Amino acid sequence: MPIHDLGYREWHEQLASPWTRWVVIAKAGVGRAWQSSWLKRMMLFAWLPAIFFGAVFFLWEHSLTVKEMRGNLRFILPQEVSTLPGLTATLDIEDEAVARHSVWSWLLYLFLRYSQGGLMVLMVGIIAPPLISQDVRSRAFLLYFSRPLARWQYALGKLATVWFYLIMISAAPALVLYVLGVLLSPSANVVYDTWDLPLRIIAASAVLMVPTASLALCMSSMTQESRYAGFGWFAVWILGAFTYVMMTEIEMDLMNSASPAVLEKWSTVSLYHSLGQVQSWVFDISTFDQVKHAAAILATITVVSTVILFRRISAPLRA
Amino acid sequence: MTPLIELEEITKNYGSYRALDRVSLQIEPGITSLLGPNGAGKSTLIKVLLGLLRATSGRGRLLEYQLGRHNRQIRERVGYMPEDDCYLSGLSGVESVQFAAQLSRLPGLESLRRAHEILDFCGMGQERYRTVETYSTGMRQKLRFAQALVHDPPLLILDEPTSGLDPAERETMLSRIKILARNHGKAILLCTHILPDVQAVSDAVIILAKSRVRISDRLDRLSQPTAPSLKIHVIDNPEEFAQKLERAGLKARIGALGAITVDGQHAELAVKIWQVANQANIGIRSLEPSRNSLEEIFLSAVREQPDANS
Repeated sequence: MPIHDLGYREWHEQLASPWTRWVVIAKAGVGRAWQSSWLKRMMLFAWLPAIFFGAVFFLWEHSLTVKEMRGNLRFILPQEVSTLPGLTATLDIEDEAVARHSVWSWLLYLFLRYSQGGLMVLMVGIIAPPLISQDVRSRAFLLYFSRPLARWQYALGKLATVWFYLIMISAAPALVLYVLGVLLSPSANVVYDTWDLPLRIIAASAVLMVPTASLALCMSSMTQESRYAGFGWFAVWILGAFTYVMMTEIEMDLMNSASPAVLEKWSTVSLYHSLGQVQSWVFDISTFDQVKHAAAILATITVVSTVILFRRISAPLRA
Repeated sequence: MTPLIELEEITKNYGSYRALDRVSLQIEPGITSLLGPNGAGKSTLIKVLLGLLRATSGRGRLLEYQLGRHNRQIRERVGYMPEDDCYLSGLSGVESVQFAAQLSRLPGLESLRRAHEILDFCGMGQERYRTVETYSTGMRQKLRFAQALVHDPPLLILDEPTSGLDPAERETMLSRIKILARNHGKAILLCTHILPDVQAVSDAVIILAKSRVRISDRLDRLSQPTAPSLKIHVIDNPEEFAQKLERAGLKARIGALGAITVDGQHAELAVKIWQVANQANIGIRSLEPSRNSLEEIFLSAVREQPDANS
């Protein structure tokens, strides 16, 4: 017999807004994902390229005052990057404002496409596979859907979990890079010259986040075993990139020349290259006509993945 | 009394299989037990009530809301404790209950306070800080109960709340259920296979079998036999005493555990029985007005073909 027993107490306080339920799911997802030591290491590692690109920003701004340094800039970048035709032409632009905008666009594009794009594949491969598959396996969907929660709120909460980490490795470091560039610039006009770049960073990050998160969660929803979802996720990227490399090499060997049209054509088989193509359009490096097929591929993947995701979310409840 | 749940001709088909067949029933405030053999349609009925499944035909009302039309409002006012394990891995017990509270719109810090309050009520101590994966079956049971209760819903649907609990814990869980119904006015729909639990706490019973409602009535009415009779337990041989009662002109039959049932009006019958026992020198252990046991009610309902709907 207890000495003191408060028993059951009723609850009649003010309820929170019904529109914030997805935030609850996202917060729980972010917290659970952060328990992975691999993710913590990867997050630290994901910010290291920003240090390198920060140094390049500094050297570029320094080269505006010390003209002879400009030619040396191409030696700092990896050879495959520094020999890209568009970048080479950009480094030779004389007008300071135009050159700054072009070089900054290129640097941010390279940062998001090469270093952060690769890290994105690894990071999403760690975070996304268990997000829904684990809920199905542990029957947690009953916990969610026996409450006043709509399917879209559940899906948005899960997507927001992936988006949060993708923002932390794409938009956040790129915006920090931009701010660093502004602070290091000796020019007073730097903000006026580059005001649109933060918006382009956000748009390029959205290009990275939206199709990848939809695809990853679609795969997670299709199985109870997160390892299968992870396997499917990495298979899509590795097979796509492998096919792209093989087909472009074969066709360019046959044509005996490197044609940008061949690269554009085969980029549609690789999700990684399609993302890069559309990001290059966001940074005004390519025209929309050059990337329209890649954009169509990404849009299709997003729509199909989202439709499958929504259907799969309600499947365990119908059983 | 206004029914909390009213169903009219609810049918649910899974392809060609009919999981619920024209189910009509009314559930009043108090504790109502939903019984039925496996595959009778209990889980389907719960899912239809929660709006997780749409009925193929028929209509119903839960509290003041139409089924299938106001699912969000219904789920806001219902606390559901599923039979199976359902948890988010990596979260502690208190975090799991807080998460359930926040999904039911309890604000941030208040949800944490309420989670602790409910876990106190459910008798969970310091183990609330351990991750759910390390919990025993009984602790998981308490956790699910806490999650169902945390937002203080007027209606609770509890699916096998005492399975996997030791006798002491089972007793405590049943007393919690009774407290919620009697002292706090909660309506409780209890799905269980443990008939003594039903007998201990229920006001009404619904028995489903073969997708249809076989019985839906108050437990005290169901327990009353169709004709008055007395139930006797004797110290010695019940067969011998039953024969002696027959020879004395009484209608006696032996049931489960040697219980002898004798038909007739209580007062005059009791006198005759004592006389026979005295003459035969047989000791009577107990003599009481007989009532239908829940086992008998359940078995007869499951075997019978006609249903309560017809």
